[in-house]
Amino acid sequence: MTRTADVAIVGGGVNGCSIAYRLAKAGKKVVLCEKGDFAAGATGSCDQMVILQSKNPGIHLKLALDSAELFQTLAQELDYDIEYFRHGGMITIENEMEMDVMTDFVAKQKKIGLEVDIISREEASKRQRGLGEHLLGCTYSAQDGHVNPFKLNMGFAQAAKKAGAELLIDAEVTDFKMAGGKVVGIKTAKGDVDAETVVLAAGAWSPLLGQKLGMKLPIKPRRGQIIVSQPCAPYIVGDILSAQYIVAKYHPETLLNAKSRGIQLGVGLAISQTARGGILIGATREFVDYDVSNTREGIREILKNAARLMPGLKNLNIIRVMGGVRPYTPDGLPLVGCVKGMDGLFMAAGHEGDGIALSAVTGKIVAGLICEGKAYTDVSALDPNRFELFAK
Amino acid sequence: MRKVQAVIVGGGPAGLAASIEIAKAGGKVVVIDENGKPGGQLFKQIHKFFGSREHRAGVRGYDIGTQLLKETEDLGVEVLLDAPVYGLFRDPAGIMVSYMKDGREQAIIGEKVILATGAAENALVFPGSTLPGVMGAGCAQTMINVNRVLPGQKVIMVGSGNVGLIVSYQLIQAGAEVLALVEAAPSIGGYGVHAGKIRRAGTPIYVGHTIKRVLGKTQVEKVELVALDEKFQEIPGTEKMLEADTVCIAVGLTPLTELAWLAGCEFTFIPLLGGHIPIHNEDMETTVPGLYVAGDIAGAEEASTAMEEGRLSGIAAAEALQLYTAEEAKALKAEVWDRMNALRTGPFGQKRYDAKAQLLATAKGGK
Repeated sequence: MTRTADVAIVGGGVNGCSIAYRLAKAGKKVVLCEKGDFAAGATGSCDQMVILQSKNPGIHLKLALDSAELFQTLAQELDYDIEYFRHGGMITIENEMEMDVMTDFVAKQKKIGLEVDIISREEASKRQRGLGEHLLGCTYSAQDGHVNPFKLNMGFAQAAKKAGAELLIDAEVTDFKMAGGKVVGIKTAKGDVDAETVVLAAGAWSPLLGQKLGMKLPIKPRRGQIIVSQPCAPYIVGDILSAQYIVAKYHPETLLNAKSRGIQLGVGLAISQTARGGILIGATREFVDYDVSNTREGIREILKNAARLMPGLKNLNIIRVMGGVRPYTPDGLPLVGCVKGMDGLFMAAGHEGDGIALSAVTGKIVAGLICEGKAYTDVSALDPNRFELFAK
Repeated sequence: MRKVQAVIVGGGPAGLAASIEIAKAGGKVVVIDENGKPGGQLFKQIHKFFGSREHRAGVRGYDIGTQLLKETEDLGVEVLLDAPVYGLFRDPAGIMVSYMKDGREQAIIGEKVILATGAAENALVFPGSTLPGVMGAGCAQTMINVNRVLPGQKVIMVGSGNVGLIVSYQLIQAGAEVLALVEAAPSIGGYGVHAGKIRRAGTPIYVGHTIKRVLGKTQVEKVELVALDEKFQEIPGTEKMLEADTVCIAVGLTPLTELAWLAGCEFTFIPLLGGHIPIHNEDMETTVPGLYVAGDIAGAEEASTAMEEGRLSGIAAAEALQLYTAEEAKALKAEVWDRMNALRTGPFGQKRYDAKAQLLATAKGGK
């Protein structure tokens, strides 16, 4: 059976479903095809943060701020409890080098409009029990929050359905349909979909599909391992990151000669507590292709790191570990927009660790670009054509 | 990190038998068990085993356990106790087994790993099922036969399989009164010879009955039974209240498969063997190369077949480690298969034989 749509979306993760929702709401006929199930990729194996402080001052932070604004009313809009809580967030600072990086980072973030400050260890300890004695201080922002990624994904999916979109799971995209050098649809395990526009929102799996079009997308799968504790009474207030994460993400050159396995595995602390009480402790950042298994070394390094920064966690029982791949891009920004030389194809992938935080705004941007030819704000920095997209 | 030829998780009958076979072949083997003593459930089995002479029929479980332990000691098998295994990880040199010991997280690599983790008792849920005094029959058996503590004076046993029948008799021997043996099915599940013993001791057997509820303030005080129709629905008006302080549940076992799931084994579902079972071939090897299963994890049966499966997995692992030639291993495995097939005969054994045959067919690609 061949379906016809205005827009076919590849990928049923949080971004694919957010896009489906906005497009359907804007009156487009949408068919979304997901190879497994909703939240089966990075969405279902990540932490839960909608954290603004980790975003690079510039378009990255600007979009995150706009997304966080949308999150404030999203549960109402979707008519779905997505468990979004804005309890603030902190970034722990352990040494002078991190203090220098964060001082500069915070100053720039403030200019973009984020409410963020560096606070002393004493002040930080008033907000959060169990912090390491050796910390020099923390950054703090009241605007950080977190959301249940599964519920967010399902919330977008349900709302998209209500708005008239057709969402297919177990519908792996096997190929693209071409006519006159233009993408005119997709072939899936559940039949063909003819569409004016095909949106590639397959996260870390996008490059595999891009290959079918002769494209060499700059997206690479990067594994994150995350640890889940026993459910316990409220302990973690808001969200906690370590400055290591910021340094590793934006100043990797400072870590080139690092000897510690933790740093080599890209371990940067990310801690938050779910609505049901489990504490999520992450994460590694490893290039191991599509291998989502956990390693003993990765788990140990995350826990060592967590116990150093937050000794208060030491007596907690760990009940589960998980791993998933995120879609890394070389400049830390997603690819959102049309592809020059491949009419009919629209990219919306490569959010790496920001997929959840940026999901709300990604749907809005894509719907704007597809329906009106322009987004609500200047998103030229996300233009996929900033990269060489075709294999030579 | 320490590396040995074989690591066996679980020091019960299957695990110990597997370790003996590998050590006999000259392999270095480490057994890891979460308990303070090896032997698994053998040491609480004070009854004589069934089967033929090769199966040590007529020998009591704890004597078999003592013999197995002596053999492992003579062969130099290393047994790590008080060491719960929490994870299996892929490793270029084999399979990494991580465990807790002396308050520290540790790991060892086995070129081959055998999971002999056993099974856990199933629970029943009814009003009052969380009151102190409601326990698994295996738990009561450990209390009387290992720890020498009587769990209570007036006992109701639920389930008439061999565990329910044997533990009822042992509770009577230990000095308790078994007021009733309750069975939901219309007939007894276990061997008639065991049922005869408890009937002669004066315990009534209520087939076609179940527990409706248990009453008590801080512990079991009263137990209400109710008759069931042929569709297992309660028949109103048939309630019967008994004064008791202990309820033992013997309604089957579920294989302890967590580690096999973690390792990524493929599973099949066979209710007769306890539910989800890791698919394995005739060498007891799972769909994860180098990872074997033996005993109740490979389908809940009883101690004699667990030991035979342990031997089979040990011989196969030794062969894979090139400690035996294919020809030597073939002859040894044939002996085990003959004994094991003999154990899987009779009205109860045949069903298990058929279920295991179905499991092996799954491994070969059938469904």
